[in-house]
Amino acid sequence: MMSKMRNSFVELKARERAQTVLDKGTFRELLGPFDRMESPHLAVQDIVPASDDGMIVARGLIGGQSAVVIAMEGAFQGGGIGEVAGAKFAGALELALEDHKKGVPTRPVIILDTGGVRLQEANYGLLAISEIQSAVVALREYVPIVGVIPGKIGCFGGMSMTAGLFSTLIMTREGRLTLNGPEVIEQEAGVLEFDSKDKLLIWNTLGGAQRYNTGLADVLVADDTTEICAAVEAAFAEQANEPRSRKVELFLSRLAAINPVKSLSPTALYELWGKGEKRSAQVMRQEEGVSHKKSRGRSWFAALTGDAVAAGKATSVLCSDVLLGDEEVRILAVVPNEHSRFPRARQGEVGLEEGWTLAKYVRAAMEADADKAKRRPIIAIVDVPSQAYGYKEELLGLHQSCAAAVDAYATARFLGHPVIALVVGNAISGAFLAHGYQANQIIALNDPGVLVHAMSKQSAARVTKRSIAELEAAAKIVPGIAYDIGSYATLGVLYELLENIHADAPTKEDLMIIEKTVLAAIEQARTLPRNLQNRLSSTAAQMARKASIIVRDKLQKQWA
Amino acid sequence: METLTFNYKGTKKLPQRAHVGVVGSGDLEVLLEPAEDVSEVVVRTRFDGYGPIWQEIMDRFFAVHDIKAKIEINDFGATPGMVSMRLLQAVEVSYDEQNEK
Repeated sequence: MMSKMRNSFVELKARERAQTVLDKGTFRELLGPFDRMESPHLAVQDIVPASDDGMIVARGLIGGQSAVVIAMEGAFQGGGIGEVAGAKFAGALELALEDHKKGVPTRPVIILDTGGVRLQEANYGLLAISEIQSAVVALREYVPIVGVIPGKIGCFGGMSMTAGLFSTLIMTREGRLTLNGPEVIEQEAGVLEFDSKDKLLIWNTLGGAQRYNTGLADVLVADDTTEICAAVEAAFAEQANEPRSRKVELFLSRLAAINPVKSLSPTALYELWGKGEKRSAQVMRQEEGVSHKKSRGRSWFAALTGDAVAAGKATSVLCSDVLLGDEEVRILAVVPNEHSRFPRARQGEVGLEEGWTLAKYVRAAMEADADKAKRRPIIAIVDVPSQAYGYKEELLGLHQSCAAAVDAYATARFLGHPVIALVVGNAISGAFLAHGYQANQIIALNDPGVLVHAMSKQSAARVTKRSIAELEAAAKIVPGIAYDIGSYATLGVLYELLENIHADAPTKEDLMIIEKTVLAAIEQARTLPRNLQNRLSSTAAQMARKASIIVRDKLQKQWA
Repeated sequence: METLTFNYKGTKKLPQRAHVGVVGSGDLEVLLEPAEDVSEVVVRTRFDGYGPIWQEIMDRFFAVHDIKAKIEINDFGATPGMVSMRLLQAVEVSYDEQNEK
C-alpha cells in the first residue's frame, strides 16, 4: 500500500520551523545571527555561544494576518533560556502587546523546544521566564497564544509552566511536557520514584498523547508540517479556549479524585480524568488539626498576621487577611505540613495542591475586590525549597498547577492589586516562579538562609555535567548563577535588601521595619506601571542586565 | 573553549552574506560575509588543542575557494568533514540568495 510521505517538523531546526509556520515568503527574522546578540555569560564560562542565542524571533503572516513566531533551538544548550534568549522571547511578546493596544492584531506562536532555565545563566534565565510569563498573561487578553511542542527536547522547567498559560497547546507524540525532568526527579527523589532510563514510562507519563488524553494539551498532531501548520491556523480561527491555568475549581476537583498514596498508572489517570471537564464527586479532605512543622514561612506568617491559630493549621498554604497600617492585605505563605495528602509536598515544596490553592486564594481576593476602586495588596511570604519532585506530581500536571498560581498572581497585579514578595528563606526555581516572582516588588532579607536559584546544586551539577566545585567557581565570575542573596541583589531586581533582620525569629523591631518597608513598596506599586518593567529600570539592573535592555531596544527598532 | 584566527589573501568578492548550521553537538554555525580586503576566519571551538587541524581545513578550503570573506565559526565539536561541508554550504547559500534576487 502506498502512503503519502510526511514532511517531518521535528527534524527541522528552529529557524526552519519558524519559516514553516509563517505564510510562504513572509519570514523576516529579528535579531538574527548577523546582529550577533549572543549571550554575554557563556564565553566567560568557557562555553561556545551562538550568534542568535538559540532563540529565533520572526515576523511574518499567518493566514494572511500579522504574526510573530518565537522558536527555541533545542540543539543549542538544550534550548535553555538564558538572559538574551529570554529577553528576545519576553521582548517580542511585549511588542506584540503594544501592537494590539494600537489596534494591530498580531498572532503569537511559540514553538517550544527547551529544557527550561539555562543553568549556566540560572537567575538570569529564571528572571526572564517570570517576565515572559507576565507578558503571556497580559497579551492573552487580546489574542490566543498558541504553543507547539514538537519534540525532540520537549518542554521542561519554567517553560512548561509558561506553556501552561497558553490558550492552545499543540503537541506531537514525540513531544514531552513536564516541570521536572526525569533525571532531576531521580536525583532529588531517588530512582524508585522515577527511573530516568525507562523511556516508555517517561513518554507514557509526560508525552503528547498522555497530555492530550488527560486534558493537559489541546491538540494532538502527527509529526507533519502540513498538519501542524493547519492546527496553528485553526487555533486562531476558533473561539479562544479558556486557559487551563484559570480552571482552578476543575483541577482542584480532579485532584480530589486522586489517592496520592496509591499507585496510579497513566492509563488509570486517563480513565479517571479523561480529556473533558469531568468533575469528581469527591471533596478534598478538609485539613484539620495542627502542624508541628516549624519553618520561616510559618514564623513570618504568624508574626505578620498575629494569628497563631491560623499559622499553626495543618495546611500547606496559609492565607489570612489582616490590617497592615491602613491597608487591608492578604498574606499568603507556602509552609511544610506533615499531614499533606501528597507525600512529596510535605517539606514546604510547591506541589499540586499548593499551586492550585494559591491560585484559588489569589483569585478569591480578585473577586472580592472586583468592584472596589482600591484593590487589596497581596503579600507572598517566600520560603520555598523547591517544587515537589515526584512521579505523580508530573503525571498529574504539576507544571499546570504552578502555572495557575503564576496566572493568578500576574492577573491580580494587572488588575491593580499590589503584589509584594517578601523573601525570608529559600526562593528556588519553579516554586519561586509560582509563588513570588510575579510580584511588583520583591523584598528580601540579607541572611545566609536566603537563597535564590534555578536548581539545587546537586541537580545543577548533574544536568550541566560539572562538579559542584566548578559550579561555585563559575558563580564567582557570573553573579547571576550564584545562590546567595547578596549576588542576586546585584541584578537590580530587589525593591530592598533588608539588613540585620532575625530571619528565623523576627523581633518586634524587625516587624516594624518590615511593615514600614512593605507599606512603602505597596504605595510605590500603586503608582508604577502594572507590568514588570520596573525591574529593568534600577541603576543596578542597567549594569547587570544590560543585555536584557539592549535586546528589547534592538527588537523594537526591527519590529515594524 | 579556544579561539583561533586565520588569514588568507583571496581575490573573488562574495555576493551575499550567509548563515548556516547550529551550535549543537557535533555541529557548528558559520557566519560568512563579503570582505573588502583579505579574508579573516575566527573560530571558537569547544575543544582545545586542535589548532593544526583547523589550519589544515582552512588552508584546503581557501585553496579551492578563492574568496574574500569574513568568516566566523562557533563550533560544538564538529568533525573536519562536517566543518568543510558547512563552509561549502555557506558559500553556496551566498551565491544562491544572489541568484534568487
